[in-house]
This record gives sequence, C-alpha cells and structure tokens, in this order.
Amino acid sequence: MEQALADLLYGFGVALQPANLMWVVIGVVLGNLIGVLPGLGAMTTISMLLPLTYVIPAVPAILMLAGIFYGSMYGGAICAILLNLPSHPPHAVTCIDGYPMTLNGRGGAALGVTMMASFFAASVGIMLMVFVSPLLEAVAFKFGPTEISAVMLLGLLAGSTMARGSPLKGIAMTLFGLFLGSVGTDVSSGIQRYTFGLPDLADGVDLAALSLGLFGIADFLLTVDRREVSTTTTRITMRQMMPTRAELKRSILPMLRGTGVGAIFGAMPGTGPTITTFVAYALERKISKSPDRFGKGAIEGVTAPEAAAHSKTQIDFIPTMSLGIPGDPVMALLLGALIIKGVNTGPQLITEHPDVFWGLVASFWIGNLLLIVLNVPLIGIWVRLLRIPYRFLFPSALFFIAIGVYSTHNNVFDILLVAVFGCVGAIFLLLEFPVAPVVLGFVLGPMLEENFRRAMVLSRGDLMIYLERPISATFIVLCLALVLLQFYSYLRVPPSPRPARAMH
Amino acid sequence: MSRCWLGRLVLLVLVWGGSAAMVQADPFPSKPIHLVVGYAAGGSTDVVARIVGQQLSEVLGQPVVIENRPGAGGSIASAQVARSAPDGHTIFMSTIANTINTSLYPKLPFDFATDLAPISLVATVPNVLVVNPQVPAANLKEFIALAKSKPGQINFASSGAGSSIHLSGELFNMVAQVQLVHVPYKGSAPAVVDLISGQVQSMFDNLSSSLPYIKAGKLRALAVTSAHRSAAAPDIPTMAEAGLPGCEVTSWFALVAPAKTPQAIVARLNAELGRILAEPRVKARLAELGADAAPSTPEELAELIASETKKWAGVIKASGASIE
Repeated sequence: MEQALADLLYGFGVALQPANLMWVVIGVVLGNLIGVLPGLGAMTTISMLLPLTYVIPAVPAILMLAGIFYGSMYGGAICAILLNLPSHPPHAVTCIDGYPMTLNGRGGAALGVTMMASFFAASVGIMLMVFVSPLLEAVAFKFGPTEISAVMLLGLLAGSTMARGSPLKGIAMTLFGLFLGSVGTDVSSGIQRYTFGLPDLADGVDLAALSLGLFGIADFLLTVDRREVSTTTTRITMRQMMPTRAELKRSILPMLRGTGVGAIFGAMPGTGPTITTFVAYALERKISKSPDRFGKGAIEGVTAPEAAAHSKTQIDFIPTMSLGIPGDPVMALLLGALIIKGVNTGPQLITEHPDVFWGLVASFWIGNLLLIVLNVPLIGIWVRLLRIPYRFLFPSALFFIAIGVYSTHNNVFDILLVAVFGCVGAIFLLLEFPVAPVVLGFVLGPMLEENFRRAMVLSRGDLMIYLERPISATFIVLCLALVLLQFYSYLRVPPSPRPARAMH
Repeated sequence: MSRCWLGRLVLLVLVWGGSAAMVQADPFPSKPIHLVVGYAAGGSTDVVARIVGQQLSEVLGQPVVIENRPGAGGSIASAQVARSAPDGHTIFMSTIANTINTSLYPKLPFDFATDLAPISLVATVPNVLVVNPQVPAANLKEFIALAKSKPGQINFASSGAGSSIHLSGELFNMVAQVQLVHVPYKGSAPAVVDLISGQVQSMFDNLSSSLPYIKAGKLRALAVTSAHRSAAAPDIPTMAEAGLPGCEVTSWFALVAPAKTPQAIVARLNAELGRILAEPRVKARLAELGADAAPSTPEELAELIASETKKWAGVIKASGASIE
C-alpha cells in the first residue's frame, strides 16, 4: 500500500514534467475530438500518429497515445446520445436510451450524467490499477475457455431480454446477430463461412460498420425528410442541460453497478468493451423496478453502460502493462508503440521501466481530470449540433462515417457494408424490430462459440467440465436461475398488451 | 499589393516547376513510397516494417508510409500489392504466412510466387517450443518421451489454424511421431495467456512474443526451431541440438514488389536494404524483437519462397490441415 503510494507519487513526478504534461494534453484533446467523429476510432488515430512518436522519447509518446485512447471514450457517447450515431461500437447501447432522452429534450442532461459517470468509473479503474493489480492479474489467469464461455452464455441470456416489445422479435434479432457473427474464418477449423469467396469477408463483418449502419444510417434513412422542423426550433436553455436532482439520484446506483461490471470484464482480457456495455445495460434493465421506462429515455440506461466502458478501459491497462498481454487491438497497438521505442514489454516492464508504468498511471488521472474540465463546458456546444439544419448535418455525418469506416482497414468494402446495414436496419426499424440485440448477438456469439469449442477440445468433449470448475459452475447456476425466473414471471403475469413504440 | 502577390505566385510556380524537373531527372523515388503490411499496426510484422521503413525514407529521401491492410492472413494486402502499379512506389512486407496461404487457400486471386517480385529477405524469427513450467519435462527429450507416454493428451496452442505456429506443431507431430492436440486461438496473445495459466501445456510460439515470459520464468523454453541458435536467446538449443533433427521452421519477413517492377528499382531497393540491415543500430532494434537481420539477394529470396511454398504444401497435405 505504502509502496504503491510512493510509486504513484513518483509517477506524478514523471507525468507533471512540462513536456510530458503537454503530450498528455495533446493526446486527450485529440482523443476527445476523434471520439466524436463517427467511425474514426482510437485505433486509426494512434496508428496514424505512430510516426510522430519516432522523434519523441518513450514516456511522452505512450502518455499521448494512451490519452487518445481514453479520451476517445469520452467523445464517443456524444453522437450516440444526440444523433443516435454510435461513433464507436461500445456506445451503441447508449443510443437505446440516450437518443430518446434527446428527443425528450434531455440530451444535455444525458451528456452531463455521462461525463460524471465516466470520470467516476475511470477514477475507480485507476485506483484498482494502482492498488489491486496483482489480484486482478490472478483473476485473469483463472478465466480459461470454460469460464469465459460460461460468462458469455450468461451475457447472451441476460441480454436477449434487453429488447422492448415483442420477445419473439428480440430473439429473432439476436439470432440474426449470431448469424452475422458466424461470417468469416472459423477459428477452430480455419474454414471460411458465408464469405461467398470474398477475401474482404474472411475476417468477418466489421463491428463498427455494423453498428454505424444499423443505428446511425438506418435512423437517418427513416427520418431524413421528417425531422427538420422538430430539431431546428429546439431551444436549449441552461436548465435543460443540467441533470435534475431526481435524475442524479437515479444515476448513482447504476453508475456504481456499471463501474463494477466494467471492472469484472476488465479483469478478463479479450472481452471487448462492447460486450461490457451491453451487459451493464442488460443488468440495469433486469434489476430495475420499472423496466418499461427503458428504451424511452431512462437515464440509468445511459449511466450504467458509460460507466462500464470507462472502468473497463482503465482496467484493461493492467494485463497490457503488467504482463505485456494486450486485451484488445488498441492495447496491442500501444504495446507495439512501446516496442518501436525500444521498451521491452512483458512481465518485467514495471520493474525495468517504472517511469513508463507509473507515469502512465499518474497521467490517467491528469488526463481524466482534463477531460471532465474540457467536456462539461463543451456540452452546451455539442447540444447545439442539433440546431444544425439536417441538410448540412446528414451529409457531413455520412462523410465522416465513410472516412472513419474506411480508415479502420483502409478498405472500401467496409463503406459498402455500412450502406447495406443501413438499409437492412431501416427495414428492421420500419417493421419495429429492435436492432440492439443484433449487435449483442454479433459480439457475444463468436466469443461463446470459440471458447465453447476450445473448452470442448481441452476437456476432450466432456460437458461436465462446466460443473467441475467452480467459477464456470457459478455462472451456469446463474444462467439456470435466469431462465427459471423468466418462466416464473411469464406464468405469473398475464401477457399485457404491447406498448406502442415511443419513437418512429 | 496584388502585383506583389502575382510576383510571388510566379516565383512559386518557377520553384515548383524547377523541383519537378529535378525529380524527373531522378525517376525513383518520385513520390512517397507505400509499404503495405498485411497485419494491424503494433504487431511484429508492422514493427519490423516501421523499423525498416524509417531507415528507407532517410536514404531514399521520400517518406515511406506504412499502410496497414489487415485481413485473411495477409492475403488481402498481398492481392492489393499484386494489382498495384509496378513502379517501386508500392512495396509489401511479406511473411511466411504468404507461402502457407498458397496451399491453404487454393482459390486466391493471385499467385504469391509469380505475381510479386522478390526484393530482399529482411529478418528471420525462430519459433520456440515453450511449455508451462508445471509440465514435467526439463528438456526436449523428456517432453517427447512424455508426449509418447500420453498420446493425444498433451495440447499445443496456436495463433490460428494455418499459422506458422500451428504448422510448426504439425511438423513436430510428424517428425517426433507424437500426437499433440492442436488448440487454435485468435492471435498469439490469448494463446499465451492460457499457456501461462496452464490451460494448455505447450506452444511453438514466435520467439519474439515468448521471450519476455521465458526471461521472467513464466514459460520454459525447450528448443528453437531454427537451424542455428538465435542471437536474441543464445542459451536455448536448436531442435537438432536437443535431439530432434528435421524439425526446422523459421518465420521470416521479406520485402517484395509487384511482379513487373523494373529491375533497376528492385536492385536499388535491394542495395539500400542491404546497407540498412548491416547497420548495428538496426540489428540491435531487430534483436530486441527476437529477430535476426537477414539481407539477401532477390534470387535467394525467390528460392526461399519456392522452397517454403513446397514445404508447407507437404505439411498441410500430410496433417490434413487443408482448408477449402
């Protein structure tokens, strides 16, 4: 404990050196801006800026690049809430309640609460990183293929009840997502499935293209000729931007739970942020006393996933930095940047390069503080986005989407994918099929399949392994409880007439 | 005022025209060079490309832009380069995977051996047989004996079906006459996690990615798969030294260009690369990655590509790892 505090102080000494501080500022501001632009993710920005880091030392380089990463998380919620446009896939779930809040005139409040939840969750994540990272490392190694597939199953069960309206439609959409997730090269056999011989599909459908198409483009397609009047006349007052006391009160517990979900998923390397936010949302809806409000602008549905995204983001740095094992492609890229700078990553990074590790940890706090100072006054400006006439807003958003999606793989094919999913999503919306379960099935399905098959290879086909291992047994019991609970509530409550959809 | 601006404009045009004329005098390189990488930024192929690209841009006087086109084990990138203008401004950092893919995917829209012109080998990385420290085998002989006593019970992880890591394991099965069971992962990082935690017992990882864990005692190295010991880890014996000849695999990175690239440009790039890879500074950077600098002539690289393609076709056929 004392050692950790001393190390942290040393880290602040490193991070507060003027040159290093300057690069932190550049990183987070840039990341925040990039985060707002749809599709243009931290991955693209960091790889574009890698050559710039050739000329600066390793510490400021990594501080800046990491700043871009967590800074982009702050920006990502903005378009999701205001325009139903998930700039990055983890924020897709934020659209479900964030966008209705905007339609109800509470968009500013949603942004305000998001910023608070983000800062809180990130701070918790950083503290965990400082004080309990050895514990989290140990947890990471407890999660083998058996445990991960059990968690994924729980996530899928919890999440499939996420959709409002007809359960059948929700399940159909989850299945559609599972199907889309099976496109690409099968990890276990190497055989290509549903790729139609196109090499561009060999690695599957791009998640960013899918979520931007289904949420953003589909909504644009349906509202392009209808929304002009309602938005341009919206007047934004200071009062509308501030969350009310009741909204704040309702946000506190979801913020804590979301942070917890993010911390748990953060300890499991390889589970992406998208799964984390969806599970946080599903949990919130599951335990809510009034699940009917979800999908119509429930503030809990914004707070919990955003908090989860931010604690997951910070905790992801633990396996990356202390073991040299990247949790996702952005982390792999950050490690690559260190390797290019001649810093050897791996288990000895913290002892060999304490300036890199502790400087980075301290810079997280400085960066997050900067982000909140930067973002709260900016909310008013962001909300004004809505006052841009749609004839300008639409084409510019389309332009940025095309650039962003292209830049991930430098491939025009992904732009076509966005267009296709935009049309598919518009049809779904017209027929009142919820689109969020598609994304859920898409991210969970492949992980469930991959880990289940791996667990079966390791156990030589013995399903009992799920009950023999304590962690997976716990999750399997939870899965069963969830299914039984569903049946119970179905039998007890007579089916009520379906509520009409508030939007569209 | 407007006159002054006009004057400046004329001057600007003259300067620009002058520099354009100068460029015409020296036709290559006349614009930025795109060095295409078939994997995401931050991976070992990308890092090697960036180390080399940085040096190349200094000696060629034009920026070398790294273009990441990940997908299909590098096939999307190599198809793109095969279609590019053969003027030396688009080059490709190919890997051992490109010669494996030829046999794995018979329907590729290009032939790696004929549609791309070899420039020079860049670096080689041995694979290394690493085991979880709990595995009761201190050396290669004991490991083979253990595998023989428990046929079909010991697993080896890989970064994916058809990767060099997977095929090294299949080759090992053939040569040592054992039955290790293949457990594929999506990339090397999650495989290493499960190897360290003991979910799987062994892996034929790239030396570069395993080296930190070997040094930290989290993995035990039994042998490298190259013909000679690696400069990055000189105390690990080779397979042959440890008692298993004929199980040789070396991962490699090599620069290639579109097939019709003029001979003079290939020769120029080859010469520059030879100089770059001889620099102690570059060698040291590569050694940090566990890679050995290995410049070659275009002819030597062509031979390597031919022999590797043939070798992997054989292993894939024998192991039944073929993919439709």
